[in-house]
Amino acid sequence: MLTEKGLWTRLRTRLIFTGPTLFAFATVMIIPFLYGIYLTFTNWDGIAVEQSLVGWDNYVGVFKDTVFWTSFGMTLEYVFITVVLTNAVAFLLAYAVTRGMKAQGWFRAGFFLPNLVGGIVLGFIWQFIFNQVLVFAGQKMNIPLFAASWLSDPDKAFWALIVVTVWQYAGYMMVIYIAGLMNVPKDVMEAASIDGASNRKMLARIVLPLMVPSFIVCVFLSLQRGFMVYDLNVSLTSGGPFKSTEMVSMHVYEQAFLARDYGLGQAEAFVLFILVATITLLQVYFSKKLEVEA
Amino acid sequence: MKREQKWMKLSVLSLIMVVMLSACGGAKTETGSGSSSSDGEVKITLLNSKAEINSQLEQAAKDFQSENPGITLEIVPVGNGQSPFEKASALYASGNPTTMMMLDTGDVEKFKDRVLDLTSEKWMKDAVENSTSATTFDGKNYAFPFSIEGYGFIYNQQVLDQAVGGTFDPQSVQTTDQLEQLFQKIAATGKSPLIVSPMDWSLGAHYLGLAYGGQSPDRAKVDQFISDLKAGKVDLASNTVFNGLMDTFDLMKTYNIDKASPLSGTYERGPEVLGKGEVGIWFQGNWAWPQIHSFDTADGKYGFLPVPVSNNPDDFGNTQISAAVSKRILIDKEKSTPAQQEAAKKFLDWIVYEAKGQDFLVNQATIIPAFSNITLEPADPLGKSIGDYIKAGKIEESMSTLPADHWSKLGASMQKYLADVIDRGGLAKEIQDYWTKVK
Repeated sequence: MLTEKGLWTRLRTRLIFTGPTLFAFATVMIIPFLYGIYLTFTNWDGIAVEQSLVGWDNYVGVFKDTVFWTSFGMTLEYVFITVVLTNAVAFLLAYAVTRGMKAQGWFRAGFFLPNLVGGIVLGFIWQFIFNQVLVFAGQKMNIPLFAASWLSDPDKAFWALIVVTVWQYAGYMMVIYIAGLMNVPKDVMEAASIDGASNRKMLARIVLPLMVPSFIVCVFLSLQRGFMVYDLNVSLTSGGPFKSTEMVSMHVYEQAFLARDYGLGQAEAFVLFILVATITLLQVYFSKKLEVEA
Repeated sequence: MKREQKWMKLSVLSLIMVVMLSACGGAKTETGSGSSSSDGEVKITLLNSKAEINSQLEQAAKDFQSENPGITLEIVPVGNGQSPFEKASALYASGNPTTMMMLDTGDVEKFKDRVLDLTSEKWMKDAVENSTSATTFDGKNYAFPFSIEGYGFIYNQQVLDQAVGGTFDPQSVQTTDQLEQLFQKIAATGKSPLIVSPMDWSLGAHYLGLAYGGQSPDRAKVDQFISDLKAGKVDLASNTVFNGLMDTFDLMKTYNIDKASPLSGTYERGPEVLGKGEVGIWFQGNWAWPQIHSFDTADGKYGFLPVPVSNNPDDFGNTQISAAVSKRILIDKEKSTPAQQEAAKKFLDWIVYEAKGQDFLVNQATIIPAFSNITLEPADPLGKSIGDYIKAGKIEESMSTLPADHWSKLGASMQKYLADVIDRGGLAKEIQDYWTKVK
């Protein structure tokens, strides 16, 4: 389209093709985002007709809110563990189902399936498993680990969240890894095997380096999903027992809608946005450097 | 020719855009809060935050419609686990509020600029004493008192009869010691004395609420106590009522059926063990009747015991049950047309004054009405028990205007105390810290 002459003609053509999308993007993303930033400077409670500007008070409040920072710390821990475990499991699954074994299509579908269940439903299903099924089995078969509900102990409830998260996302990441594995050039592998490289060596020296782009995408996705975890948190533990598993998104939500301090909640959401954006951008920037050419 | 084609494309594209945009705009008139169409039909909506009576309300809406042709009433339920405040404010934010909203007492003040002043309604003179005081601001009442609810120790008559060897008299428990003796008697029959349900709302809003409401029969003194808490002037660790209440809580912990793992219980477990007679007592309110009823093995014989706070039967709280108007109905004035507002007022009048409406309220929804002209007796034993306490004047007003996050934050503190994560000093400190941070 750049061949067209005249600013107006070019602008018009652009608008015809990108206009609707831009319009939609602006109305549902940009404007609410900017309005949200405006709200961080007010003392709005979520319903009042009037609101007044309070300057930077809400941001000061964010730094004073110790619960926000402890739950952010816990979320970091959760994100770290889930990113490592999800990607490790996903890669192993992908590796297993591309080896040409029987019915591997079925396995792929099976591992992917948890992703199709919504977070809320999934949380309730697992709540039943942790509260009833495992406890019943633990008591009947004398397994002390399962004799009491995991969800009533702060540490175990935290791990329950991790187990379910990994179970849910590993299948999704597996699909991306499968695509990555398929894209490793066959001729390179062939050359390596002719040169006498063992399977393990080929994996370490050829497959993994060539799959860095897949890792970048998967780590990015699992990072972002980990930080934004909310539905599972609400339905599986609802932050309990006694708020010990309240992740940062849930805390922000409660600050805005439960404590009815919309301004502070919005400010915390904005601070969270900055932190998560920084972390994910750094991750992408540094892991890009690991990419190699085939 | 070429030029023509170009214009064809352009006009097709712009047509698509127009269709897309008008689709966006058009939706609003369709889903508006129920617009009144030209032929005099009025459509009103009611946001229902009492999920347990949703089917009864649907039926009531049908009955109301058949008596008032021209009005359609639609019930909009609040999602399970969602707060009515959250749902109502989200509806306002999207410019699509329901005509009537059923909210908790503490929410009303926040909505007062957006809802109708109901001070001159007919039912105001029939509302029971104090039922509208918490929703009156600057002399104007903004809410319809929908239901009275109360809570305390629900007992299973059959289990307690067996424990005391005869007919159990609820008057016989008025002190902490008498309660402990009762627990021991139940334990002696081989059953568990009680179940403590560990939900944060139950422990935070209801049980801990007794520590505030029990300070004095005089409401002004209770309000003073709350403002002292906010100002950090209260030392809870040395407060008699708080300590008495926590002594009773210690007893409850000791005799709890779930003592081994006190936090793993769910709400659903309470009515089951109580109804089946595995425990004698459950700390809960009259709203639990439908669930208890479905497990009932005691022939519908249940009642309430107060939560004692000392060993002197004359102390306030030892013979009183906590009760208050819990749900209120508000009428929107921003988006609703005058016809819709009239229809909504008509529905409220229908509940209070028409036979079908009263029948719905008391018999179908098993609600304790807040209106003195309604003579129907509650059919369920728990409602009846609370009604008896109200008639005897043995009522401690429930704390229905606590800060919105009180139940969640201090409920968590109570859970910690229940699971022995913190001691009483730690609990007192967390409660004081919370209050000094309330805005």
